[in-house]
Amino acid sequence: MMTSTQPATPTLHILNKPPGHPRFESCLQAIQDGDQLVLTENAVLALADRSVTLPAACKAMKADVDARALDEQARTATIDYAELVRLTAEHSRIISW
Amino acid sequence: MSTLIIVDQPPYGNWAGREALDMVFSLAAFDQPAALLFTGAGVNWLRKQQAPDAIGQKSVEKNLSAAPMFGVEEILADAASCERFGLGPEQLVSGVTLAENLQDVMNAHSNVAFAG
Repeated sequence: MMTSTQPATPTLHILNKPPGHPRFESCLQAIQDGDQLVLTENAVLALADRSVTLPAACKAMKADVDARALDEQARTATIDYAELVRLTAEHSRIISW
Repeated sequence: MSTLIIVDQPPYGNWAGREALDMVFSLAAFDQPAALLFTGAGVNWLRKQQAPDAIGQKSVEKNLSAAPMFGVEEILADAASCERFGLGPEQLVSGVTLAENLQDVMNAHSNVAFAG
């Protein structure tokens, strides 16, 4: 079994799969302290799903939240595309799930 | 012979749901009894005030509002899934009947198909 000796590089996780999708679960399991999660497309439904616990460092795309009429239940900050670009520039490591 | 189409995937992420909707509308337009059941993340189709302009799509809520015009017999939503996604009566589009027991709904139709 391999064990990592290096501390993990802070990672930006971009998740577009809805709760219940295998990759949604994989993504949440992969998130470590210092990582940032951004919910896009159908992943924003996690904000309305009472069975999902999201990490503290979580943002959601406003256009996708509005499309699905979730704003009143949003449990996290929403961002626009400019902010998403800024986050991608800030992180040297990005995983698009 | 009645057909039940079950939508268990959320709107906008793929085309499966819209294709299922077209199928239900076609069946109903040709006087074939057809009903829709939304369950799991699929209940998010039924949320009021969807605004998908910014993601370059048309509202599935408007799409769905044509159902009575085509003669779709019933639009059903799984009550437990609505609870899970925080969809109370105030958030649901009109004309939706809550179903407590999905097995009963499925047993009431001779043809049952999942969308996608």
